[in-house]
Amino acid sequence: MRRSFFLLLALASVLRAAEPVDVLVQGAEKLEVRELIAGLGPEARKVTIGPFSFWIGHIGPHRVAVSLTGQALINCTTATVIGIEEFHPTLIVNEGTSGAQAPYLTLHDIIVGQRALDYGNFISPVTAAGQGSSPMAWTPVAQRLRDPVSGQLVPYPEGFAGDPAALAVALRSRNPMGRVFAGVIGSAHEVNLELDRVRWSARNFGMDVEEMESGHVAAVARAYGIRYIAFRVVSDAPYEGVPFNASAARATGLFTLNFLENLPPLAMPMPARTP
Amino acid sequence: MKRLFLFCVFCVAVVARAQTEKVDLLLIAADDALLQPLVQQLGQSKSETHAAWTFWRGTLAGKSVLLARSEGDPLNAVAATTLAIRLHAPRLILSYGSARAHDPALKAGDIVVSESFAAFDGLFSPPSSLGQGIHPLQWQQLPHLLMTAGEKETPAMTFPADAPALSVALALTSPHGRVLRGVLGSANQVNREADRVAWLHTMWHTSTEDGESAHIAGCAALLGVPVLGVRVVDGTAADAADFARRFVEAWR
Repeated sequence: MRRSFFLLLALASVLRAAEPVDVLVQGAEKLEVRELIAGLGPEARKVTIGPFSFWIGHIGPHRVAVSLTGQALINCTTATVIGIEEFHPTLIVNEGTSGAQAPYLTLHDIIVGQRALDYGNFISPVTAAGQGSSPMAWTPVAQRLRDPVSGQLVPYPEGFAGDPAALAVALRSRNPMGRVFAGVIGSAHEVNLELDRVRWSARNFGMDVEEMESGHVAAVARAYGIRYIAFRVVSDAPYEGVPFNASAARATGLFTLNFLENLPPLAMPMPARTP
Repeated sequence: MKRLFLFCVFCVAVVARAQTEKVDLLLIAADDALLQPLVQQLGQSKSETHAAWTFWRGTLAGKSVLLARSEGDPLNAVAATTLAIRLHAPRLILSYGSARAHDPALKAGDIVVSESFAAFDGLFSPPSSLGQGIHPLQWQQLPHLLMTAGEKETPAMTFPADAPALSVALALTSPHGRVLRGVLGSANQVNREADRVAWLHTMWHTSTEDGESAHIAGCAALLGVPVLGVRVVDGTAADAADFARRFVEAWR
């Protein structure tokens, strides 16, 4: 009986650290994860936690969890924390669609995130009724994270850098539907189609594309000390008048598959939780 | 015996995934000024840190509580809330603090209790060409598409508050003003342009703005946990913490 008790204890600890994976791959929409789920192979299985689905299998040499996060900060932050706590990934790949913020980009081009940032935060100046609203006068506020060692809140005005090794592999991976560039990805719960504001964001934050998740996921990954990279395909290009094209999601899915095939085996996962 | 063993294995598996050490209440606030008055009153206090987020667990007014620091922004607040729910399965979340008024009828010292929450950071701007300017008072609302069962995203302009907890809070008093029901709005924004504040109030029906309350409510809605928010208009940390403590005493 005593032996059974210790066996149960051991089993509990194993279950608590359930199913570590090499790579947690996230997409906000079903079209963004479809190619990846198909790429997991016949042994893939699905895990549901709350409203979030994860599909576990292998792509290339990697054990992979594909996560359907849903759009924007609330969904993707919740899904990322759950994904990290549940699967203890070594690398997080956040992929999906985006709006071009730079005129050199066109439909199906892919930006690999040299960095990703939250660009939606600001403090406005004080103005009286009748004086209107002037977004160009707003002061951006950087995402902050608390450093558990110093106890200080640290601002990240440039956002969060993509993992250099993953970035290098991505830039050698093929996008079957367009070009591939390194660039800056901006996240906010916004769809900006006023070109003056698009240009202001591009100039002020260096953004090449705008979307709703990667800067937030990058912050969570940084908080946990987990390697991170983001890919965004251009699905709408306001400079060219190209409206949102959902089929662009296929390009980012196929590109991510190619990336995972090219990515060398990763080191053993680090513990996800700090003591 | 074998059957009993398998049953035990199943129970351990469920508990391990759901996590143990449940608490009655998660009390979440932006900073130490709001938290420390309650941390100092905790019985059997323990702190725990997970990645960038710190929690204090103990007893308050006979309830088991977990205190969490949201850092006053949506990302940290949602991450801390998710961790708290996953690790300690609270029966109710209370987000408390101070806020700026969107509703011109509110006065400093009034306490707004959440009838609902609005994360007002969602915007969609109509297309316009270079040189045509930026027209923020013509922007449109972008709803939050919360993930729901069956891998469906459900659009939401507001998130619900727990009705029984709302009743408990509305029965309390404020030392410097009224206790009112309203819509707690949040975004990682400090809006001080009068015309934009009026526009936000019109579009989202927000009573107040703060950095995180509606995002916590959105996370709570995702994971099926009841939530309440209270905000003291232009209030002090001590006033907000005192109201939170009195809520904990009154809540059953």
